[in-house]
Amino acid sequence: MRIDISYKFIMGFIIVVGSIVVLNLVVPQLGIPEAWQQLVSIGCAILVGLLLGWAFSKAFTANIRHLSAAAERLSEGDLSKAVRLRGSTFPDETADLAGSLNRMMESLRDLVGTIRNSANKVAEAAQGLSATSQEMTASSHEVSHTVEQISRGAETQAEMVERSSRLIREMAVSVELVVAAAKKVVLAANDTAQTAQGGGETARVTTEKMKGILVEVEGNGRQIVSFGLQVQKIGKIVEVITGIAQKTNLLALNATIEAARAGEYGRGFAVVAEEIRKLADSTSESAGEITGLIETIREQGQQVQASMKQTMVEMDAGRSALDSTVTAFAEIIQTATNTQAKATSIAELSQKQAQGAGKVVEAIDEISRVVSDNAAATQEVSASTQQQTASMEEMAHSAQGLSALADQLLEAVRRFQLGNERS
Amino acid sequence: MDLVLTFRLGEEVYGLEIAQVQEIVEATGFDYIPLAPAGFLGAINFHGAILPVLDLTGYLGLAGTQRDQRVIVLPPSTCALGLGVTLIGRILPLERDRLLPFRQERETDAFIREVFNHNGDMINMLDLPRVLASLEKQ
Repeated sequence: MRIDISYKFIMGFIIVVGSIVVLNLVVPQLGIPEAWQQLVSIGCAILVGLLLGWAFSKAFTANIRHLSAAAERLSEGDLSKAVRLRGSTFPDETADLAGSLNRMMESLRDLVGTIRNSANKVAEAAQGLSATSQEMTASSHEVSHTVEQISRGAETQAEMVERSSRLIREMAVSVELVVAAAKKVVLAANDTAQTAQGGGETARVTTEKMKGILVEVEGNGRQIVSFGLQVQKIGKIVEVITGIAQKTNLLALNATIEAARAGEYGRGFAVVAEEIRKLADSTSESAGEITGLIETIREQGQQVQASMKQTMVEMDAGRSALDSTVTAFAEIIQTATNTQAKATSIAELSQKQAQGAGKVVEAIDEISRVVSDNAAATQEVSASTQQQTASMEEMAHSAQGLSALADQLLEAVRRFQLGNERS
Repeated sequence: MDLVLTFRLGEEVYGLEIAQVQEIVEATGFDYIPLAPAGFLGAINFHGAILPVLDLTGYLGLAGTQRDQRVIVLPPSTCALGLGVTLIGRILPLERDRLLPFRQERETDAFIREVFNHNGDMINMLDLPRVLASLEKQ
């Protein structure tokens, strides 16, 4: 049963007053002299008052001391022990105060525990954040480096594109030259075809003429053969004449011999015989000359025949050569026509190619622009990355600060002892 | 005036007096003479009589592949014989004062009696009796 301290005091007073009254009633009946009666009553009343006051204030003081000690511990940060007052039949405000202190201690313990946990977590998180931000800074550095490389690559790319553009322009110029050359080739092929037609015509005419000449030469050959035969006949006649001359010579010799044998009578005959012999000799000589001439004619005729055969062979060869020339001219015409067609198509194709090259140049210019934009964008990215790196470093710094703050907080709550159940 | 019939034996020029010649005939072919001595070309028909022909070139030991178709026929009074020569020449007048004696002792087998200088050409005059005598010996 709870009784307030004030009530306790009041009750004490009442008990003291009551005991005085009771004593005043009791004491006279005890047989105690009257003179002592007053003293005993007062003494008993004081004794009762002292006993009650002692008992009462002892309990009260002890509770206050307990509370004071608990408050002292609390001020020192020891939250491990709860305030326990001696058990009392009649608890009073001290018990309430102890309960309040205990609840406050409980709340403080919760708070400190929560702060400690949170600070620990914050410290861990700050460390993690710091590590992460360092990693991110490193990554950001790498990204920055890579972006620089990309930037350099973009510059090289721009250069290459410029060079490609220049090359394509040169190519376009070359293609135009090809067009011009192909047109010239067309004209030249046309000229060639015309010339070849003229040449073929000439070769055909020449072939015809050569055929005529060949016929004439063959006729000449036949005439020479018949001439040779006639010369051979002359030779035979000359042989006959030679035989006659030899016989005449023999007859003249014999006539001379006969005339010599006839002596003086035969002298005139001998002269005639000598004349005949001379005639026969000169006949024989002339016949010999004719034979020599015939031999010469025969040899020359054979030479002429041989050379004519050679000529005919050569003319045949010439004719076949001319035939092949005609064929060759025909082939040249064919080839020139083909060349013309091909050169025309080359010219057309080259024109298309030139147009295509122009488009390629445009496309490459476009590419160049894109590459320039890319380079600019890359530089922007590089700048952003650098900013990001700076932010990251700042963040790392902040995380370190946070970590320090968490440490400080932990340090601040460290002096609170929470006891075994909460530590 | 005597006349000389000239003829060639190989490269040498010989001469024979007309008086020692009967006739010159053409011999197209020779008939074979059985058991004839060496140096005979064969036989020909001379006016119906068989006439042996001597290869004079070979007989005198002179080299010569050519042979005239005409044959010198000796008079029957001397010997019935034909002489085959390399080539029959012509008939020249013999000038006695231009005959040079030939030394017999130097070349015994030459059958040359004298040498006739006809305008610088040396003509060996054939010693026919010695030839015939030599033939007789065989």
